[in-house]
Amino acid sequence: MQIQVKCGCREDSCPEWAIVELQGAVEAQPSFRDRLQNLEIGCLCRPSSEEKYTFTVGYHELSGSKVPLKKPLLVLKKKRAFDPEESIDSDPNSSRMELEVIGIIRQRILFKTRPKALISKPQPTIKEKKVTPPGPFGN
Amino acid sequence: MEHESCRGGAKAMLNLQPNSSISTAYHPHFGPHDDLMLLEIDEKLLPDILHNRVSLRGQSDEEVVLCTPSKTYAVKLFGTSNFVFLVPPSDPSESSETASNEPVVASVLKVALGIMELVEVAPKLDKLKLLLMENPYRPEDEMDVEELEEIEKDKMGLFRWEDLVDRIQASDEELRAGLRALLAVEIDGYWRIVDEKYMDIVLSMLLHNAVLNGWSLNALKEDEVVGMLEADGFPRRLALHCLEMYGGQVREGNGSNGRAWVLDERWVCIHFARVVLKGGKMKMESFMDEWMKKIPARMSASFEMLEGEVLVERLGVETWIRAFSVSSLPSTPVDRFVVLFRERQKWEWKDLQPYIRDLRIPGLPSKGLLLKYTRKMQPTSDAEPVFSAR
Repeated sequence: MQIQVKCGCREDSCPEWAIVELQGAVEAQPSFRDRLQNLEIGCLCRPSSEEKYTFTVGYHELSGSKVPLKKPLLVLKKKRAFDPEESIDSDPNSSRMELEVIGIIRQRILFKTRPKALISKPQPTIKEKKVTPPGPFGN
Repeated sequence: MEHESCRGGAKAMLNLQPNSSISTAYHPHFGPHDDLMLLEIDEKLLPDILHNRVSLRGQSDEEVVLCTPSKTYAVKLFGTSNFVFLVPPSDPSESSETASNEPVVASVLKVALGIMELVEVAPKLDKLKLLLMENPYRPEDEMDVEELEEIEKDKMGLFRWEDLVDRIQASDEELRAGLRALLAVEIDGYWRIVDEKYMDIVLSMLLHNAVLNGWSLNALKEDEVVGMLEADGFPRRLALHCLEMYGGQVREGNGSNGRAWVLDERWVCIHFARVVLKGGKMKMESFMDEWMKKIPARMSASFEMLEGEVLVERLGVETWIRAFSVSSLPSTPVDRFVVLFRERQKWEWKDLQPYIRDLRIPGLPSKGLLLKYTRKMQPTSDAEPVFSAR
């Protein structure tokens, strides 16, 4: 069986995705676990011109940096390709599976440090257009 | 992209300017997205992938491999205990004029549980020989292939190129090399291995004709050879295959000069050695007698030619010889050494070498193979090293 790996994008135009990687877990409070969509996780800040970042989740602050990946990652999507002309008694394996490259990842923002507990409500050090209330996360 | 997303996305996150921040939230379509996978690849494989030259190959009971046009890779899934948030690019159809007062958000579509990595492996070609040996080509047995149903063809061990690609875990280039190594020939669109006895008849006829017509074995004219064999009743494609199997091309055809071939002494001598040893082991003197009788007059045979083709044993005062061809052995190192040590518990290097020099593990040199699969014994530094199973 052969599954083609397809790519609709050209070399220089493959959509770039990003990765934020944390050691440890981010958990939502139990009441929110089934409806995570659109919920804020936290705030990613770049305090200076260095590639250093902080990630504030709830009352914890993580420190990390943006690093290029040694080898690029491809984002692949599994698809079932249905052939409308197939007859009923043809091989079921012929509604073939396809893999499509839908993105490429060349950099990640990696947080390796122990989270620093913020003992008071995090004050935005950077002016934002909109004040965001703390998210519904404990840790 | 079908992913509806907020303004921002991966680009906004990766291009975050100094002294600024971006909110990170779960995507409106956040979920397990089991259909999305991450594959780590070498930069050098990128052109092949982006130009649709890569595929996954394997049956449902095999571990899947990824094949580029020339190489084969095992696909291994590595889990991670880290939280890997996957952030897609934002919807390109959104323009910056609309919703400019909405916050810039980087949205997480999925938490990745692992990353797939590629490990280069040798192509799995042992199956190829098994498939093609289901129905070796013998002209007198041939039925009208076109009249058979597709399913019957499969049962009858008849495979076209596409059928082989479907069943063999190897890249196209490696599959072609495997077919060449098996001396397979494409007849009427099907890849076939020709029955040994039949090839012997064709070769013997070719040599017979060469003597009758005074042809030089170093400059056989393709048109003459094939023409005469065809007149003798052999299919044209097989006559040509005989030249391909036992010879090498000397001259490319152009205009009135057709292609010319030279018969390879070694392959012809090996062929006749195999024929002589078909009945089982023989005493060395008898073998040498029989073998020499079969060698064409203008060729000379030497025992060294049979390296990797025969095994010699002393039983009492007598020396015996029997066929043992490297081409009949498994191609994966583990299986190869099992068979070799079953045949003989201890091997001297000079005897072992012809039987392992074709083995290949990407990234492992041949010395590494010995270290990995054998135990070496060498009582003194000038004694011949002896290898046995680990």
